[in-house]
Amino acid sequence: MRRSLADRFGRLLIAGLSAVAMLYLALPLLVVIAISFTATEYLKFPPQGLTLRWYWQVVSDPTFVEAFGVSGQLAAAATATALLLGVPAALVFARQQFPLRRTLSALFLSPLVLPTIVLGVAILQYASALGFARSFLALFVGHVVLVTPYVIRTSLASLSGMEPAHEEAAQDLGATPLQTFFLITLPQIKPGVIAGALFAFINSWINVEVSIFNSTAQLVTIPVKLFNYIQFNIDPTLAAVSAATIYLAVLVVVAIDLAVGIEKAAVNATGKTRP
Amino acid sequence: MRITPANAAFLMLGPIAFFVLFFLGPFGLLIAESFLRPGGGATLANYTSVLSDAYYWRALFNTLLISLWVTVACLLLGYPLAYFIVFHVRWPWGRRLIYVLLMTPLFTSNIVRAFGWIVILGRRGIVNSSLLAVGLIDTPLDILYGKLSIIIGLAYILLPIMVLSICSVLQTVDRSLIEAARDLGARPSRAFLAVTFPLSLPGVTAGSIIVFALSVSAYVIPSILSGGRVMVTSILIFQQYVATFRPDIGATLSIVLLAVTLLLIGTYLFLFERRLRMVG
Repeated sequence: MRRSLADRFGRLLIAGLSAVAMLYLALPLLVVIAISFTATEYLKFPPQGLTLRWYWQVVSDPTFVEAFGVSGQLAAAATATALLLGVPAALVFARQQFPLRRTLSALFLSPLVLPTIVLGVAILQYASALGFARSFLALFVGHVVLVTPYVIRTSLASLSGMEPAHEEAAQDLGATPLQTFFLITLPQIKPGVIAGALFAFINSWINVEVSIFNSTAQLVTIPVKLFNYIQFNIDPTLAAVSAATIYLAVLVVVAIDLAVGIEKAAVNATGKTRP
Repeated sequence: MRITPANAAFLMLGPIAFFVLFFLGPFGLLIAESFLRPGGGATLANYTSVLSDAYYWRALFNTLLISLWVTVACLLLGYPLAYFIVFHVRWPWGRRLIYVLLMTPLFTSNIVRAFGWIVILGRRGIVNSSLLAVGLIDTPLDILYGKLSIIIGLAYILLPIMVLSICSVLQTVDRSLIEAARDLGARPSRAFLAVTFPLSLPGVTAGSIIVFALSVSAYVIPSILSGGRVMVTSILIFQQYVATFRPDIGATLSIVLLAVTLLLIGTYLFLFERRLRMVG
């Protein structure tokens, strides 16, 4: 009897602490979403009234619209390039043993753990020396370095979970390496590649540290715009933009869940941050 | 797929070229900048001036102290949640929902997450207005803009990483070992302390090192939630480029921050060397 009581207490304790942890995770985002609908001119929690005027304010402010545009183009370009660099690299890592294999994989995965602010500073100085500082190109190369590791990691996870006999059978039957890749390999690793692309896109989309050093008044991404905005204004407009980015985050999470299953993707891409 | 060495080299050409040009190149230049004398030639002057200045040490000490508390907070909240996910949540949709809850903050900009905490912790924020309403305090507490709010904000950002790291190891714990301990008469608490917890330690260590390292290098959260009252190394680096215009000192501080991070990652690799694989 005493044992089952202790057991029950233990379970209750774990459930209680987990509830606290989950509330801690959910609260800040829920609060931002809630106040983005407030009818007051200032931040008010709980929000009073219900209005979409702050969202309207954002879409009718050309500087916000432009920043959304820059962020979208940057994330799309960085993701496309990361796919072109990352998928071939993952393929070689998965199917070839060669000298320097570990050194190279450490090189490609290290942006995941190195300080992003140092990457931002390094790109700024390098771009200044070569004459392309504070340009879309500088933002672009920094973001590609930042997000390629995600593509490599998720593609690699798919490749190592795949049956290599299919590829070998195709090649034995006379398929060229290119045909084998597009007809056999790619369809099987597609979920991992899609998940990698989504991870890459969102990590470019939310980045502040690399972007902030290479932004100008005209060329500014949405997180950097928010970073500058929050220094002077803390108002419902800020909440509306923030809330919009949270909606996108939820959409991407759902998309990843549909592609590979959120649990697997979560553990693959973040649980084992191993350079 | 069988890839000929020539094809492998061709496939690797793009990634290697890109990373040499835009990753090793910039970092190399940064290292060079930190050793460069203004007129040309090598010098240690930047390092001696940084390392002999108590102000910089104070910032580094703040950074490490904050990171330590963040790691402790993430462990205390993260372990129970990871354990709960792996051992108690049986309903697949429940697990799914918790994973969505873990991933959504990771996919939201640090700036948005910092903003959430401003609303919660501010003088007229949720915490203060609730405490005032209940009558527990007469004047609003000064929680926002200080070390405590930085720790709360960073722990919030890094909690998912700790949870996922512990989850990935807890999932591999052989449940028959726990059952064996129970069958031999161990109470649940003893079975946990003698079997489950020791087996989950690699996840705890890995998660702690990663959380600590990411916390040391975090910029946005300390910058927004310090309110200019607490100095940490990353803020100091930022200031060298936008306020004091000392890129040489900025580069030197960046290398110091990089060295601290590499030391942590080195420890991590040393501890997990035997189990190190590229993925999995």
